Amino acid sequence: MRIAERQVGDVTVLELEGRLILEEGEFPLRDCVDRLVGEGRVKIVVDLRKVTRLDSAGVGMLVSKYLTARRKGGTVKFLHLTARADELMHVTKLAGVFEIFDSEEEALRSFTPGAAQA
Amino acid sequence: MAATTRPRRHVLIVDDDRALRHVLASLLADAGHVVEQAGDGHEALRRLETGGLDVVLLDIGLPGVSGLDVLTRARASASPPIVIMMTSDDTPETLLSAVRRQAWRFLRKPFAPSAIVEVIDDAVAASAAMSIEVVSARPEWVEIVAPCTLEISDRIQSFVMQLDADLPVQVREAVAQAFRELLNNAIEWGGRLDPARKVRISCLRAKRLLLYRIADPGDGFDIDKLRHCAIANPVDAPLQHAIVREEQGLRPGGLGLMMTQSLVDELIYNEARNEVVFIKYLD
Repeated sequence: MRIAERQVGDVTVLELEGRLILEEGEFPLRDCVDRLVGEGRVKIVVDLRKVTRLDSAGVGMLVSKYLTARRKGGTVKFLHLTARADELMHVTKLAGVFEIFDSEEEALRSFTPGAAQA
Repeated sequence: MAATTRPRRHVLIVDDDRALRHVLASLLADAGHVVEQAGDGHEALRRLETGGLDVVLLDIGLPGVSGLDVLTRARASASPPIVIMMTSDDTPETLLSAVRRQAWRFLRKPFAPSAIVEVIDDAVAASAAMSIEVVSARPEWVEIVAPCTLEISDRIQSFVMQLDADLPVQVREAVAQAFRELLNNAIEWGGRLDPARKVRISCLRAKRLLLYRIADPGDGFDIDKLRHCAIANPVDAPLQHAIVREEQGLRPGGLGLMMTQSLVDELIYNEARNEVVFIKYLD
C-alpha cells in the first residue's frame, strides 16, 4: 500500500494505492492517520480511486481512523470510491455515516463552515 | 510518499513464448529482481538442479517436458522455489493438478504483464510455501485441507476463483469476497493463525448453485456474544461494534459477516458455529 500525502490548506488529502486488506495496507493507513492526528492535522480526505482490493479489515480500519479523527475534533471524508467500495459501504451501512464525494473540490469545500454537503 | 521497500529475489521465467519472457523479465528486472529465462522444460530442469531460485514463473504448455512435470520436480528439490503457473489452459483438471503438485498460484493467460510485479511481491512476502492437501480434485467437488495462515487464504482464494472463471463477473466477485471473509474468519478466529492447525474447505458446483463449506478447528462462537461485530449493532448505531472492539483490544474490523450476508444467497452455520456453508444460486 502506497500513500501519497498532499496538503490543501488545512486539509490533508491521502491518495491510497494498492490493497487495503487484512494484514496488508491497513497498518500503513493506521500509522499515517495516527501521525497526522498527533500533529493536529485532523481534517483528512482519503482518496480510494487506486485501491485495488478492499475487504472487511480494510473498511474496519477506515472506520477506526474516522473515529480517531472525530475524537480530536476533526473528521475523515472519502473520495472516488470504486463501485466495489461503494457497494461495501452501503451493505455495511457506513454510507449513511461517512461523507463520500466524487470530486476533490467538493470534498475540500465541505470542510468550509456552512458549506452545503455534497 | 510512503512505500514499502521491495526485497530482491531470484526469479526464473520458463515459457516457450520468447516475447512474453522478455516482457516479464524486463518488468521484474526493473523491479529490482534477478531474472533468468528458460525456453523449455529441459532447460528449466537443468537450471533447477543448480538451485538458488526463489520463484519460478512456469508455463504449463511447454515443449518436451510439461510444465506440470517441471513443477513436480521443482517442488521436490532440496530448497523448493515458489512456483507460479501460467497457462491459457483453464480447465479445472489442469488447475487442480497444479494445486495438487503445490503450485503457489495460477495465472491465466492472457494477463496484464504489469500484474506480474504484484504477484512476485506476494510470492516474496510469503513464507516458505506451505503445503495444501487436495482431498478431492473433481471439478464438481473440490476439497482442500490447509494450514491456518493468511498466506494460505490468499492462495486458496486465488485457485478457487479460477475454478469459477466461466461465471459472470458479478457472481465471481461476490463469491470471491464472501469466500475470503469467511476463510479469513476461520483461519484467524478458529485456527488462531496457527499453521499447525488445519482448515477444511469444500467447493461444490451443481447445475444451479455454488456451495462452499469451511470448517475450522476452533470451538465456534456464541451468537449472543457478538457485540464486536457489526451484525449486532443497533439500527441507529452503525459504529458501535468499532467502539466495542477498541474497548476489547481487538483489531479494527467486525464487518465480515455483515458483508458476507449481503453477497450470498444463503449462509448457514452448524450448531457450534465452527463450520459454515454459503450458497450462491446461478440463474
